[in-house]
Amino acid sequence: MTRTLWLSGLRYHLRHRWQLVLAVVGIALGVAVVVAVDLANESARRAFALSMESISGRATHQIVGSPLGIDEALYASLRGEGLRPSAPVVEGFAESRGRTFRLLGLDPFSEPPFRSHISFLSRGEIDLNRLLTESGTVVISRSNVRDLGLGIGDPLELDIGGRQVVVSIAGTMDSDDRMERQALNGMLIADIATAQELLGMVGRLSHIDLILGPAEAETLRTRLPSGIDLQRSESRTQVMEQMTRAFSVNLTALSLLALLVGLFLIYNTMTFSVVQRRPLLGNLRGLGTSRREIFSLIAGEALLLGAVGTAIGIGVGIALAQGLLGLVTRTINDLYFVLNVTALAITPAALAKAVLLGLGATLAAAIAPALKATRTPPRLVTTRSREESRYRIVAPRAAAMGGIVMAVGALLLLYPSQALAPGFIALFLIILGFALAVPWVTGMMVSLLERLGRRRFGTPERLALRGVQASLSRTAVAIAALAVAVSVSIGMAVMVDSFRQTVHQWLQFTLQADIYISPGSAISARRSPPLLPEVISRVRQTSGVADLSTYRSLEVNSEFGPVQLQALHLNSQSRTGYRFQAEKPKRIWPAFERGAVLVSEPFAHRHRVVPGDRLNLDTEHGARTFPIAGIFYDYESDRGTVVMARAVYEQWFADQKVSGLGVYLEPGADVEQTMERLQSRVSDLQGVRIRSNRDLREASLAIFDRTFTITEVLRLLAVAVAFSGVFSALMALQLEKAREFAILRATGMTPGELWRLVTLQNGVMGLIAGLLALPPGLLLAAILIEVINRRAFGWTLWLQIPAEALIEGVLLAVAAALLAGLYPAHRLASSPPAAALREE
Amino acid sequence: MKAFQSFSSLRSSASPRCKKVRFLITLLMALLLGGCGPAPDQPTVGGNLPLSEALGGDTEGYARATEPREFEFPADHGPHPEFRTEWWYFTGNLADRRGERYGFQLTLFRNALAPEPLEGPSRWRTRQVYMAHLALTDVAGGRFVARERFARASLGLAGARAAPFRVWIEDWEVSGGEGRHPFPMTLQAGDNEDGIELTLTMEKAPILQGEAGLSQKSEAPGNASYYYSYSRLSASGRITIDGADREVDGNAWMDREWSTSALGPEQSGWDWFALQLGNGVDLMLYRLRLRDGSTDPASAGSLVSPEGERTALREEDFEVTVTRHWESPRGGRYPAGWRLQLPQQQLWLRVEPLLADQELDLSIRYWEGAVRVSGEHRGQPVSGYGYVELTGYAEAP
Repeated sequence: MTRTLWLSGLRYHLRHRWQLVLAVVGIALGVAVVVAVDLANESARRAFALSMESISGRATHQIVGSPLGIDEALYASLRGEGLRPSAPVVEGFAESRGRTFRLLGLDPFSEPPFRSHISFLSRGEIDLNRLLTESGTVVISRSNVRDLGLGIGDPLELDIGGRQVVVSIAGTMDSDDRMERQALNGMLIADIATAQELLGMVGRLSHIDLILGPAEAETLRTRLPSGIDLQRSESRTQVMEQMTRAFSVNLTALSLLALLVGLFLIYNTMTFSVVQRRPLLGNLRGLGTSRREIFSLIAGEALLLGAVGTAIGIGVGIALAQGLLGLVTRTINDLYFVLNVTALAITPAALAKAVLLGLGATLAAAIAPALKATRTPPRLVTTRSREESRYRIVAPRAAAMGGIVMAVGALLLLYPSQALAPGFIALFLIILGFALAVPWVTGMMVSLLERLGRRRFGTPERLALRGVQASLSRTAVAIAALAVAVSVSIGMAVMVDSFRQTVHQWLQFTLQADIYISPGSAISARRSPPLLPEVISRVRQTSGVADLSTYRSLEVNSEFGPVQLQALHLNSQSRTGYRFQAEKPKRIWPAFERGAVLVSEPFAHRHRVVPGDRLNLDTEHGARTFPIAGIFYDYESDRGTVVMARAVYEQWFADQKVSGLGVYLEPGADVEQTMERLQSRVSDLQGVRIRSNRDLREASLAIFDRTFTITEVLRLLAVAVAFSGVFSALMALQLEKAREFAILRATGMTPGELWRLVTLQNGVMGLIAGLLALPPGLLLAAILIEVINRRAFGWTLWLQIPAEALIEGVLLAVAAALLAGLYPAHRLASSPPAAALREE
Repeated sequence: MKAFQSFSSLRSSASPRCKKVRFLITLLMALLLGGCGPAPDQPTVGGNLPLSEALGGDTEGYARATEPREFEFPADHGPHPEFRTEWWYFTGNLADRRGERYGFQLTLFRNALAPEPLEGPSRWRTRQVYMAHLALTDVAGGRFVARERFARASLGLAGARAAPFRVWIEDWEVSGGEGRHPFPMTLQAGDNEDGIELTLTMEKAPILQGEAGLSQKSEAPGNASYYYSYSRLSASGRITIDGADREVDGNAWMDREWSTSALGPEQSGWDWFALQLGNGVDLMLYRLRLRDGSTDPASAGSLVSPEGERTALREEDFEVTVTRHWESPRGGRYPAGWRLQLPQQQLWLRVEPLLADQELDLSIRYWEGAVRVSGEHRGQPVSGYGYVELTGYAEAP
């Protein structure tokens, strides 16, 4: 019996293999997106943790100081007191041939307790004597040296903050471990003397590595001079995870959206298969098959589909992850820190999660149809009309439930919280509620259309409308899936567009100078090395230059961990580039000059500070508190920025360096010509990037767009999943109606009219899905902007409703529906009606 | 002649024998930086390494020990940076109040990585690198510990100075006065677990080894060192082993030696003896071994009378016979008992280690340990203590 049962299921699906394939594709895509995002996130995280590990070695703690590092004399005195094991580290970045390298300066004599796990040193070939005695010698990973086509003793040209230097390769390093080898790639190790000289850190150390027990750490902490801090090694990795947490959570949520759409697809396929097989199921029940068996049949089928889809999805996901990894890494590099990720870390946990999600989602989606199948009365050959009329009772109930679900979501949104997860759950609830309401709303809309067009429509049009109405039990889910996908797409498009517009406007008012000068080929905006003083004085003396504003950016330790500090010398014009929340600039600027700091909106959000609070920063003279004078709008960094007046900064941080210049021209001076003059005057001193106001604005927007590439990709994937759902549902529906259409043909309908009928029917469904998607799409955008984005990053974005995004959404839905109807329409219109009539 | 090969192997690889030297450097790097030892398929450092490779090689640009020189004290207690290597070598045999025996070895090495001062703004850029070995022997406890340290002579991390006398690597330090003989001298080395804190005073004036202080190590001119010794110092203070402090006193020996090259290619290692007899006589002997197992004619020694008079010993003046052997668990077969015969001096001695395993398993492996001496001098029975250093025996296990 069971065997027969299974065979009957198999037979059914083989006869409807298009549906089968599309359902599998839907799950596969959904799972693939989740897997890809998960793997890409995880790989980036692991790559960072790993490179931190190979940098920290066995160190448990680090002595860190001000952003400029610590005086090397501290190391000598601690060693003199017998603080061992301890190792000095100088760290920075260098670029070469389009790659970014982390340049690590170590003292080979202090190293043994720390970086022994970098077994490259025992396997590699290193000329330690050269490394120690010749300046500008480095050790590089074996695979890097191979990729670059170099050998030991060869020169390697580096760009360190715009300064061109040539170093010599004094050895190579390697590891047996794949992940460790990856961590070595992109690393240059030099003697500490060489690193200090290359990075302009003579006399300073980035940090001192230590191996300490908890008790020792506490004793040491009290002994350290003020302004010098002891931190645990993991905190560097933790900082990274904190920095990118919102980013990864958002990506994960987006990937789950794709899976949600895939879920609809499963539900759709399974429901459809149950509805279609009702006569068969009725007969089976009549022959003695138990409800339980029917349930296992349907659930088993779903599980099988889910398994195949998940398996394919994992494969595709791994492939997709390779592509996403590049995007994720680039975004992290653009926004957060330098990260080299080349290898994908495929963890069993990620795969297990994918299997669970894929199978779980499939099963969850199949439970309702399976239950429905068990309710089939024995031997009763239910007519479709009966089914439809039943559905008309169910639809309003579903809509009511949808309303409740949406209300719960809305309540969850209103609940005051800063957590991301409830925000996303609310978002999902609202989408789900909306999807539940779709069938009923669709029915209402079709009735409305019908009533409106009763006089004007011809037979095919009316038939088309009634057809939609009459087949809602099967089409509603497809329409809902399409509407969900389109609304997500619209929501994301509106959010991204609003974001872009906001940033665009912000750039307009915030970029006040005519020309901007920064050290050339800055690896990352946050890592830019200083401009040489000579460069600044030459710029000042260039004809056409009226005034300068200076900019210094670095990382400072604070009560909230490392924060981005900008020391600014602002003239009156550049001050107009700052817009504040609430407070009056007239009161803010004098306080700023007197020593107060300004914080950016994301900073205030992230650390819950308001004007009037005091911020604790580790200065060169120990910890100091600075009052917060105001919160300004800023979209540069989601970590937030603290801004301090230049004079105040110099007083507390004993640092004369400048990371960038804003150049204000004399009235009438030509921007292009001045830029050329500046370039020719300073190019022999330092490689600098000179950009006009417009160039910088465009470059900033380009980075913005790049950052959202990954969002765009995920959005398209969600649409692709929905598309395959719609395609399968509509095609199945139209094929099922073959007999009905054959009768129409036989009673005189021409192939052209039939074509029109089918196309129209699909078009109407697409249009309905598209129109239905608009309000939730906008709602979604509003939630993304006002809730998700605020909670994740703390930005104020101005909601913009671009007509194109809305029209695009509707067109997308219509196009998907039309496209899905093409093949069935063609087949029906071209086949002789007798064939279809004879079939049963 | 000291356990110096390890250090010297940091030296440049630019010599014609570059390949082998580089191999050595690679291995040392593995130990220095890797800390996890070389791969199993590679022989350990100190195993079959031709010492001559380490001690020969690129000498260009360095000063050489080619002829006797005037020694000037206290200036010569300080560093001689124009030579490639140099050491301050202390060994001693001590006893606590209960009569338990202890031995210590503290050596501070200086090594130049380049003949000329290095240029560059970083203070870390220096050609002078220091290494220290500390080894303690607790005879009753059957315990032997060895520690080492490296530091470059920058930021005050390590260095040496003639007057007031000071040689140091971080918190390991030997310091003394400003006079011609820098005594009393204090030695401070080790960590919380194991260490020494000793005060040394001079019992005998220094003697110049070799030919007026020029100690030839192999045939080629310049393969020699400048070498003087304080052969008898009295020591008192504290020795800490396994966290337990003991008040101790006894005798110590200080060697000072600097050179640029020493061994020739045919030499494979040495056995070095520094013995202090109960009758006030001190004996220093080194036997340079050739690859074929025979003794190099450059082997030599000194006999110092209780009054501090030195008698030079040439290779033909003494005979060293190995009476026992010891297998190192780390690989290598060491001599572990000797008969010394100096017929002209009417001196016959048996030398045996106070502890079998006094092998320093550091970045370079060698045996150096406290020994007991007994025998006959001019018809009178004598006994005493001393130190023996054995290099070139370690092998891969």
